[in-house]
Amino acid sequence: MNVDDVKNLVCAEIDSNADRLIAVAKEILQNPEPGFQEFKTAKTVAREFSSIGIPFEQGIGITGVKGTIVGSDSNGPNVAVMGELDSLKVLGHPHADSSTSAAHACGHHCQIAMMLGVAMALQAPGVLETLSGKISLMAVPAEEYIDVEYRDNLRREGKIEFLGGKPEFVRHGHLDDVDLAMMTHTSASPESGKISYGGTNNGLVAKSIKFTGIASHAGGAPHMGVNALNAAMIAMSAIHAQRETYRDQDTIRIHPIITRGGVAVSSVPADVRMETYVRGASIEAFLSASEKVDRALRAGALAVGGSVTITTLPGYLPITSSDSMLSLYVENAGSLVGKENLNKLSHRTGSTDMGDISQLMPVIHPYVEAASGQGHGIDYLVQDYDLGVLTGSKAMAMTVVDLLSDGGRKGKTISDGYKPPLTKSEYLALLRGMMREEIYTE
Amino acid sequence: MIDIQDLKKSAWIAIDKRSDWLIDVAKTVLQNPEPGFFEIKTSKYVSKKLEELGITHDSGIALTGLKGYLEGAASGPTVAVIGELDSLRVQGHAHSDPETNAAHACGHHCQLGMMLGVAVGLLATGVLEALSGKVALMALPAEEFIDVEHRYGLHKSGEIEFMSGKQEFIRLGAFDDVDMAMMSHTSLSSEGKFAIGGTSNGHVVKYIKFLGKAAHAGGAPHNGVNALQASIVALNALNSKRETLRNEDTIRLHGIMTSGGVSVSSVPAEVKYEGRVRGGSTEAINDANEKMDRCLKAGALAVGGQVEIVTLPGYMPLINNSNMMDLFSKNASQIVGSDHVRRNPDHLNRGGSTDMGDLSQIIPVIHPYTGAATGAGHGIDYLIDDYTQAVVNPAKAMCATIIELLSNDAQKASQTMADFRPNLSVEGYVAIQRSRLKEEVYTGI
Repeated sequence: MNVDDVKNLVCAEIDSNADRLIAVAKEILQNPEPGFQEFKTAKTVAREFSSIGIPFEQGIGITGVKGTIVGSDSNGPNVAVMGELDSLKVLGHPHADSSTSAAHACGHHCQIAMMLGVAMALQAPGVLETLSGKISLMAVPAEEYIDVEYRDNLRREGKIEFLGGKPEFVRHGHLDDVDLAMMTHTSASPESGKISYGGTNNGLVAKSIKFTGIASHAGGAPHMGVNALNAAMIAMSAIHAQRETYRDQDTIRIHPIITRGGVAVSSVPADVRMETYVRGASIEAFLSASEKVDRALRAGALAVGGSVTITTLPGYLPITSSDSMLSLYVENAGSLVGKENLNKLSHRTGSTDMGDISQLMPVIHPYVEAASGQGHGIDYLVQDYDLGVLTGSKAMAMTVVDLLSDGGRKGKTISDGYKPPLTKSEYLALLRGMMREEIYTE
Repeated sequence: MIDIQDLKKSAWIAIDKRSDWLIDVAKTVLQNPEPGFFEIKTSKYVSKKLEELGITHDSGIALTGLKGYLEGAASGPTVAVIGELDSLRVQGHAHSDPETNAAHACGHHCQLGMMLGVAVGLLATGVLEALSGKVALMALPAEEFIDVEHRYGLHKSGEIEFMSGKQEFIRLGAFDDVDMAMMSHTSLSSEGKFAIGGTSNGHVVKYIKFLGKAAHAGGAPHNGVNALQASIVALNALNSKRETLRNEDTIRLHGIMTSGGVSVSSVPAEVKYEGRVRGGSTEAINDANEKMDRCLKAGALAVGGQVEIVTLPGYMPLINNSNMMDLFSKNASQIVGSDHVRRNPDHLNRGGSTDMGDLSQIIPVIHPYTGAATGAGHGIDYLIDDYTQAVVNPAKAMCATIIELLSNDAQKASQTMADFRPNLSVEGYVAIQRSRLKEEVYTGI
């Protein structure tokens, strides 16, 4: 049986499980859970792994699940196929949880189904016998870097160290024996074709900020108060004032939210909380912008005579996809949707913790253009589940077949030829070095 | 015994006789506006008018100031009548100098007419003969505390030390022989003919430079440090602090940007701001001034630039002397009717500031207002609409007040001096003002 025959087998297996895979995606869509709280979603993954006989570990990084499939021998490389468990929170999304605002406005529900599709496909009779090495099937928590204050508390309680699922997987050693990794994200740019690939993403640090002032009667004695909300406003103005200093190529993005802005309108706000990302195309760029943000935050506290506690948390690193893995993927994806429907990406200014993995090993992070609306918006809806689940799954399964066939030759070549920007220990040291807590008072 | 009422009437008749001459003085000064310490023409003109009245005087005091005397028959206290020489700068004022924007948008031109009017009244037959003491006729520079950078330059070069006329006159000893002082300021006709009493804000003056780093604003803004953004952050911050200011402190925080960058294509590396922190008490001014400094530093910190903060001693709150107010009110009432003379409560603060406040810390003073203008004070439409009320009537009221103070062996002047408890001596005043001058450089990191 040649490689094309194997690919036909895996595609047929996905098609024969089409209803079940799409049903899993929709089940997760209806049960959105934000990062590190994906307990139901993790159970769904465990249930599916059990039902197709894949051994798995769970509770990795609180909610992560990892299944393992072994080929005919273990001489070949270990390929990770990932899906992300978590939802966003988007108030007013049609599929939002009414009490938590959790909503799959980024299509992660399809990723889990795609990952399960790969698992089912590789279990099709006759397939694994042709493959050499391992496939790690990872349902990873918390890709959306949200609920910063909540997660920072988890960190302080020792339940996590990093605030994203993949950095936690790395820290716990679950990528130690992995050589190559892939996942597929949904996207909503159908005008650019059906599948988009390549390109780079911004990295980021996140900040959890607390302005502290002095409460006082806002009508009766405002002169006795120190207004922490005004400190935050001044800081925001100051952040904006510095936008002109960012180079275009650094694609800096700074977008704070205020998570607490005072507790009673008649009392001078004394405790105001902000969260922000500082994103940029390179580590140097976002760290430099992060310093400017810190300066602006201090300026807010200085202006009102209050204090500010700035907790800077390592976020995600910029992503670079492996060209050699992509060339395999592009062949497979092209055979499924037609080459004319493939679109090579340039730089995207969002961020993903797949970027962290890309600092350690060759990865790909393509997009299936199966959705409509605005990513992270109330109208982001997956319209084409065939493309969003089945095609996405097939393209990855076929690429796994390429990587692990023939004794895992192609996979090993790509892995051996890859010079990772960081070793695991360097990566952990870099992230830990970004972690900083500063209390500034005039 | 001489009838005081007869003396006043003689003086008033003399003033009325020369009313056209006095009003012409005011209008001539109006047409030749000069800002503080630049009042060369105005000073010469007033000097000439004093000469026409035969009054010898010193000139060039604090650059442009004048001081002459009329002496009573007997010795006694010295009462000063003050007129302010300087104009404001108001772009677009009907009588502004098109080159300098200098404009009499605060009515000082009338004060010089008033001061000469007082002299005319005192020179009426028999008046000086009845007085015990002297009257100092003073034309003072620079009451409007403007052109801060220029005046700070004069300070640096040693031409002046303090930056207003009365402050300098005090420092130079020009008030050492003066026991009490008065002047009248114009105000709006709609406020009535005369108002007296109340207080004014004191202030400190800020001369600020935000320093950044120039760079191509299109090509390399990332290499620049934007001083204009620093100033905007600072002023936004300052605005947010307004809620912490107590109403009773009548704080006023305001200023102008005198340089906001030199080329639109270059990141502004130097931005200059002249500001004012006004308030009803020293404590309130100091508190607001600290807030301003914090905000200025915050602007520099935000962009990673620097700010140079120069704090200059400004004015002190005005205290009107109650004995003198009583006399002035009585005489003003005799001229315009008591219905048209308002006595303001002591705590009433008009929000503005005057260096007459400084003098009031040392000797008894009054600073009444004569309602004779329309428009907004310091605005483009501030125009005198009643020159009789602007020049002639206040001259008569002040002249009559002086006659009451210095006649009958200067009993009332002596009583006023005996009742007065100065807040400061001249030496104490000079020491305090010197201590208020501060220069600070803050680097934001």
